[in-house]
Amino acid sequence: MYALKNKVQLVGNIGNAPEIKEIAGGKKVANFSLATNEVWKDANGEKQTETQWHRLVAWGKLAELIEKYTSKGSEIMIEGKLINRSYVDKNNETKYITEVEVRELMLMGGNPQNKVA
Amino acid sequence: MNNLKNKVQLIGRIGTDIETRKFDSGNLKASFRMATSENFKDAQGNKQEVTQWHNIIAWGKLAEILEKYTQKGSEIMLEGKLVYRMWETKEGEKKYITEIETRDLRLMGSAPKTEAGAIVIAPAIETNDDGLPF
Repeated sequence: MYALKNKVQLVGNIGNAPEIKEIAGGKKVANFSLATNEVWKDANGEKQTETQWHRLVAWGKLAELIEKYTSKGSEIMIEGKLINRSYVDKNNETKYITEVEVRELMLMGGNPQNKVA
Repeated sequence: MNNLKNKVQLIGRIGTDIETRKFDSGNLKASFRMATSENFKDAQGNKQEVTQWHNIIAWGKLAEILEKYTQKGSEIMLEGKLVYRMWETKEGEKKYITEIETRDLRLMGSAPKTEAGAIVIAPAIETNDDGLPF
């Protein structure tokens, strides 16, 4: 039921090398960014592209898959949920961030690293 | 195709008043916050609830519907896209905000807004004396 109440689906390219951390107990967490492009034609018939940068987090088995099979530029599709949280930075300032926690992952297209090689 | 690439679906309650703003172009923008809650049992078997607060915006017709038919506490379902933007405060500080731009909306549950702003409560269903529900 909760998958229906808070659901995000994104298709895009990974924007940075996924940062993998191991936390207590050996569980892994992956942090990375994902770009989604929206393409449309404006009134003059010219192609316009708008890019949104999403902050993504994946835990456990999903983090391992991200680490093993993806890199900067990989095209992936994910389903997840929106998480809004706050933290206090070094300057004692409260920062609010929005993350998408990955629930399902699908690798798409080719791996750009292989293509270049 | 753009709809598949960046899609958000939320079911929850409106947690603030609907703020509307009319632009010179005639376009109406509505903004509000919405809560989605998740219940689960922790390792000790105690019920826990985690609530996420989302910033929502809607344009045009959708904004009109929200203004007219919903209020703080209304249960809604929406589909939209994730949008991130940056703005500067008067002090020149950069602030980042994440919003969900509504694409499709569905009003759920009861408690519609009447003209007086009162909540309409459905009359109790009458039952026969023999206790059968029909």
